[in-house]
Amino acid sequence: MSVRSKIADGNRNTVLYVQEFRTAAGFLAPLLFFVLCFILVPVVGTALNSLFLDVTFEPKQFIGFDNYRWLMGDPEFWQSLLFTGLFVLVSVPLEIILGLIIALVLNEPLPLRGFLRAAVLIPWAIPAVVSGRIFELIYNYSYGVANYLLTALPGAPQPVNWLGTETSAFLALVAADVWKTTPFAAVILLAGLAAIPGDLYRQARVDRASGVQRFFKITLPLLKPILIVAFLFRIIDALRIFDIIFVLTGGGPGGTTLSLSLFGYRYLASGDFGYGSAVSMVLFMMAFGLAMSLIRLGRMGQVIE
Amino acid sequence: MNTERFKIILIVAAVAFTLIFCLSPFIYMLLCAVSRAPDFLLPSKSFGFTLSHFYAAITSESLHFLAFLRNSVIISSISAIISVFCASLAAYAVTRLPWPGKRLFMLVVLALSMFPAVSLIGYLFELMSDLGWINTYLALIFPYVAWTLPLSLWILVSYFAQLPRELDKAALIDGCTRLQLLFRIIFPVAAPGIFSTMLLAFIFAFNEFLFALMLTTDYSARTVPVGIALFEGLHGQLPWGEIMAAAGVSILPVILLTLVFQRRIIQGLMQGAVKE
Repeated sequence: MSVRSKIADGNRNTVLYVQEFRTAAGFLAPLLFFVLCFILVPVVGTALNSLFLDVTFEPKQFIGFDNYRWLMGDPEFWQSLLFTGLFVLVSVPLEIILGLIIALVLNEPLPLRGFLRAAVLIPWAIPAVVSGRIFELIYNYSYGVANYLLTALPGAPQPVNWLGTETSAFLALVAADVWKTTPFAAVILLAGLAAIPGDLYRQARVDRASGVQRFFKITLPLLKPILIVAFLFRIIDALRIFDIIFVLTGGGPGGTTLSLSLFGYRYLASGDFGYGSAVSMVLFMMAFGLAMSLIRLGRMGQVIE
Repeated sequence: MNTERFKIILIVAAVAFTLIFCLSPFIYMLLCAVSRAPDFLLPSKSFGFTLSHFYAAITSESLHFLAFLRNSVIISSISAIISVFCASLAAYAVTRLPWPGKRLFMLVVLALSMFPAVSLIGYLFELMSDLGWINTYLALIFPYVAWTLPLSLWILVSYFAQLPRELDKAALIDGCTRLQLLFRIIFPVAAPGIFSTMLLAFIFAFNEFLFALMLTTDYSARTVPVGIALFEGLHGQLPWGEIMAAAGVSILPVILLTLVFQRRIIQGLMQGAVKE
């Protein structure tokens, strides 16, 4: 190949590359527009708002980090931080354990597998608000099914005012959330189970490994990366819990089930954008930190290369 | 032999547990919707099958329940279509075109999906107020498109990555532009994947609550979740039968989609959730 045609070839490649690059930019533009305008700019806007005294009908006034300083001295904030942390700590492990059991069931070649899978998706598919309303009725003091079953137990325990006391309201919320979100955990873990090669189990059977051994020596170790992903996904989601609490307890009794999202929402909805934004930013930083660790631990993003 | 029997018992128990766990609250909702009153569990009361709660929920003037359902279906459908369209273009660029920083781009988009909604709504409320969009479909469609884009993009990238590149090469040699290639070759071939993604985006938008609560004020744009959450009844006592009937009818779209497309939804979720 002559020098001249080589240069021409190189130029053509560069031209082609620039052209393709432009095409790529064009293809990405719509997505970038939506994400920039309705996710990234709002977050930055919230971050900026949190530095202002910004109450409806009052002039906006820059106050630096005063909102955060007030937050540190606000017992309601600490209460909601504590509740949110406890809620994540109790509900997520339950969801993962139940999700794993359900995933193991769904992974078996059973008759009516399609029906079983559809049944599992139902709690996931309905709005959290609707599941909240169902559980509100389940927990009804005088005729809900929770007290009906409780009082039918041997020894006939007294009915419980489920949403009326601190501990029972906490447990009631956990149960409602576990019902709603376990299917999601199950489906993620099912993807992990489906990826384990069947040969391993066949070999283990030849070696006369028991079912329990097979579970602990093959399934669990190979599932570990996906278990971590499922855990982090669920933690990040449980951290921002809002819908079910809004419907079931509204933060009560006595503010003991106020989640950070609900706490922030209350200020935003009442027109105190500065303080509400500060609360939201605290929650945002927590979720963001966890998202970063998810991305690192899950080694996500390798699919593209 | 004994272990075989033990295994069967274990599986039956696990299946029974799964079905009871997942379905019993849902069945309880349906029972309360068709019972005369929700107190049918009390020893002195009867069940009393009736469809009057459905009739009341649908015909009631003050409830606006059909308006909520219409709003939800329109808003979620439009959001899902736009979201999947934008995500398809981007997924094509990620899987087929050369540009630097793809991996970082995908990770940033993933991180976006984990933002708490409450950290957006304050600003969005101010923005929508300035635009005069509060209590309109637009106030929800734009944020919903953005909100469902990360999910759509991740699922579609893994679908598109599986399509053979020979398709592209042949079409490009035939003189197709990239856009023609996308519409004439990729979209038809990837139609099942695109459809699954759209289903998921629809369900996510349909179930969203916090944006809808903050950005709408009455039945002209309010969606099903907000309508159900704020349903208190007019006479003090909660009309549980009507609430459950309204809830049952309004979740019909998502339940039907789930039952019919169960396999696609599971595939989509698996594809989006775990890819290593």
